[in-house]
Amino acid sequence: MERVFNIFQQAGAAVRAFKLRTFFCLASIALGISSITIIVAATEGAYQRAFEIVDRFGPDSLMVLGGSETTRAVGHREKTITLEHVRAVEEAFSSAYLVVPMTSQGNIIASHRDRRLQTRVIGSTHDYSQAWTWPVIEGSDLTENDVKGLRNVALLGHEVVETLFGQESPVGKYVFVNRIPTQVVGVLASRGTSPAGHNLDNRIIMPITTVMRKIQNETRYINNFRIRFVDANRMENHEQELRSFLRQLQGTPEGAPDDFRIISPTEIIRFLVALTGSLVAFLGIVGVMSLVVAGFVLANLFLLSVKERTREIGVRRSVGAKKSDIRFQFLCEAVLITSLGGVAGFALGFAGAQLLTTMADFPMHFSWRAFAVGLGLSWTVGILFGLQPASRAANLKPIEALRA
Amino acid sequence: MPLCSLKNIRKSYSLGQEEVEILRGISLEIQEGEFVALMGPSGSGKTTLMNIIGCLDVPTTGEYIFAGQKVSGLTDDELSIFRNEHMGFVFQNFHLLPYANVLENVLLPTLYVSGKKEGAPLKRARELLKLVGLEDRERFKPSQLSGGQQQRVAIARALVNDPRLILADEPTGQLDSSTAREIMDLLQKMGHGGKTVMVITHDLATAAYAERKVHMQDGLVSG
Repeated sequence: MERVFNIFQQAGAAVRAFKLRTFFCLASIALGISSITIIVAATEGAYQRAFEIVDRFGPDSLMVLGGSETTRAVGHREKTITLEHVRAVEEAFSSAYLVVPMTSQGNIIASHRDRRLQTRVIGSTHDYSQAWTWPVIEGSDLTENDVKGLRNVALLGHEVVETLFGQESPVGKYVFVNRIPTQVVGVLASRGTSPAGHNLDNRIIMPITTVMRKIQNETRYINNFRIRFVDANRMENHEQELRSFLRQLQGTPEGAPDDFRIISPTEIIRFLVALTGSLVAFLGIVGVMSLVVAGFVLANLFLLSVKERTREIGVRRSVGAKKSDIRFQFLCEAVLITSLGGVAGFALGFAGAQLLTTMADFPMHFSWRAFAVGLGLSWTVGILFGLQPASRAANLKPIEALRA
Repeated sequence: MPLCSLKNIRKSYSLGQEEVEILRGISLEIQEGEFVALMGPSGSGKTTLMNIIGCLDVPTTGEYIFAGQKVSGLTDDELSIFRNEHMGFVFQNFHLLPYANVLENVLLPTLYVSGKKEGAPLKRARELLKLVGLEDRERFKPSQLSGGQQQRVAIARALVNDPRLILADEPTGQLDSSTAREIMDLLQKMGHGGKTVMVITHDLATAAYAERKVHMQDGLVSG
């Protein structure tokens, strides 16, 4: 054990002594490890982001959008779902505890006194905030009677309140929504941006009946509805049941595509992971290639080093070093350098990740795992590419090494 | 019982297709505590013989017994242990590690000690540095020392594991005559201290220190 420590110390001394070799090996390893570090952090970040989004979306939720993906063009996709469909689903699915219809209208001007704001109006029911687990932090929620009575009442998003009211409390006051005087009953908590990049805080929520009749002049169709199930573990069954139920409801013939689209938590994860996948793949190739290159750099510099230090090897052998001692020393040197390279690469990757995050809002998550993968790979490179030079050093004949 | 007993040692190398015989049947005994000079022209096989005696190389045929133990037939690892325990080498070119300081160079053989270590290597290394007169140069690098000083470090290194045999291959070859004398005085002191010393040399002044001279010619001991 002490011998191992002694030889390790010798390796450390050599790493310090042959600075140029150490620097070049270290730098090339660090480059490879940094991109590997970024990959691991990006993958973890993507998964974390995906699960955050799913968490916010609701792991027990499905959303049904009108219009088929395949048979209709983008602009004509929307409206194939009616309030009747929603009501039918509500009655048929006892496994669901919430079924909330929604309709949406963009480019709406909202104003209060001399302040104006372009915003989006969402028509929904009194269950809206519960459907999205989006609390009303001031005032009160919409009521069933608001919906039945087509009342001109609204919940305001955080940004709408800030723009129209500043520090004032908006509750009980009136805003003009698309020139309709509307009383503010509550304020929703701040929620940031959606995964698709929509500003969720620039929203006004009103009874769906009011929005359809008074803003959209629409009697039947809505945009989408959201359904939350009691048992989140059976989401795939729920999705299938809902699909066949809706097809029947819409009278879609067998074999024809759906005239609606169901968004599920699994689908969101798949989408998000695919989004980061290309960058991860690119960095992966770059990382592995640069590690291989780094390995060859290491092997070459070590072979040179063995040649240069032939005498040292001879001297060590003459005072009693075994072949295995020499091999171990050179391997230690290689692994020591690549470990340092691994640590430097981790730091470099960390810095690079900060840059990526600030520049492209790329989700990154650093954990011990990224560090462990980096260090593990640098050890692998050190051992793999250090083995040949180390064996060559070990197999030098003492008398020939001394003569060099 | 002699310390070294060589019987009909032969050593040949193959140079391409040709087989060159460097040692052609050498029989030699060295007694414990002897100071032996090995002399002879270049190419006579002095260094090869010394390498075999020092267990750096193995004979092609013949029997070599060191302190009652048969050396021929030991594995590479066993030979390494043998060198570590029993042999101390002093080379013409000093062969110090350039990136290690004086103390680290002296300690080098102690790093490879097998089994339980005896005493405190650091204490012994410092004692030896004092003995060779370099106790105030511990932290110096070899490049900061003169040739004579470097050879003293090498002698301290050769002694640190307390070997029974010291083998010096032209130890004064790179040194001026007064420095050479100092080095030989030092080796002689070791001899008087009970070590067996074997020196290869061309130089008659150096050989004069020896109690016994062994002459070699064409791979044979000539008397």
